[in-house]
Amino acid sequence: MKTLIESEEASRERLDRMLHGLPPRRAPATLESRVLEELQRRAALPWWRRGFGHWPAAARTAFVALCATIIGASFLGDVGGLLRTRAAHEMLALASSWMHPAAAALASMLEIEWLLWRLIPPAVTYGFLAAAALLYAALFGLGATAYRALHPPSAKQGSLP
Amino acid sequence: MRAYQDMVFSTASRLTGNDAQAEDLAQEVFLRAYEHFHELRTSASAGGWLKTVTTHLTLNYLTRYRKRRRLFSELEAGAPAIEWETPDTLLADIDAEQRRQLIDEALRRLPDHQRLPLVLYHFEDMSYQEIAEKLQVSLAKVKTDIRRARAALLGILEADGRVRPREVRPS
Repeated sequence: MKTLIESEEASRERLDRMLHGLPPRRAPATLESRVLEELQRRAALPWWRRGFGHWPAAARTAFVALCATIIGASFLGDVGGLLRTRAAHEMLALASSWMHPAAAALASMLEIEWLLWRLIPPAVTYGFLAAAALLYAALFGLGATAYRALHPPSAKQGSLP
Repeated sequence: MRAYQDMVFSTASRLTGNDAQAEDLAQEVFLRAYEHFHELRTSASAGGWLKTVTTHLTLNYLTRYRKRRRLFSELEAGAPAIEWETPDTLLADIDAEQRRQLIDEALRRLPDHQRLPLVLYHFEDMSYQEIAEKLQVSLAKVKTDIRRARAALLGILEADGRVRPREVRPS
């Protein structure tokens, strides 16, 4: 058995030496031009179609700020909810007493909305938001699957995932 | 790019066994290298970086676009492992370029589950353990596949009349 193991080890080493000594394959002559063409194509893309890392600093800052605002608002309730604070409602009600009748109608609508808002339990609101996120994810997944199915990667396009 | 393109293409080509895919992968590797150009330009390890990225991208590509379960199935049934002794003078009678062509052609004819670990072991100098982790299969399967791959590689060369491997049996 020892002989067999020694023989196998020696055999492996011989094969290893031979494979290591092989020269590399010559790359196709088209490779360099393909890379340069792709770099030019990417350079010609507008900034919003490039990766986030390539966006201008101002755009990146604005995007991050917008995302933070949306996330913050979703935690606090929603953007409309901010307008439905009691203070805002009272100011509108006060204004309606001497302003245009349309303002009074608006205040009444806000009043109804405010009552409805208080009637909806927070669990329902969060459930609704979770369902919306789930549906969005499902739609995104469906779209990605359809894209993969309808546009399989071509061997010649150089478009790897 | 010119200094490394052969190495990158060779690595991708030997792993995929397909020149068109290898060219796509090589292109992607150099596009990524361009994004890190400032770091790589003065780095002595640029070659190593390119090789690692090539291997990583190729394995990702293969596992994503081929049926992983068929590729790396633990239940894959194959021929019993037979050890072959590599001749002392394996392909010594031909020049290096001819030898490369023969070996690359033989590698292309190996099934993926044998070619991948064999190339990672002998060309990329990865250990059995590293290969098992990369391919997410057991260590035992990696060892078995590599042994079978060696036997199959020599078998292909033998069938082409290039070598006459000697079957080794326990005494």
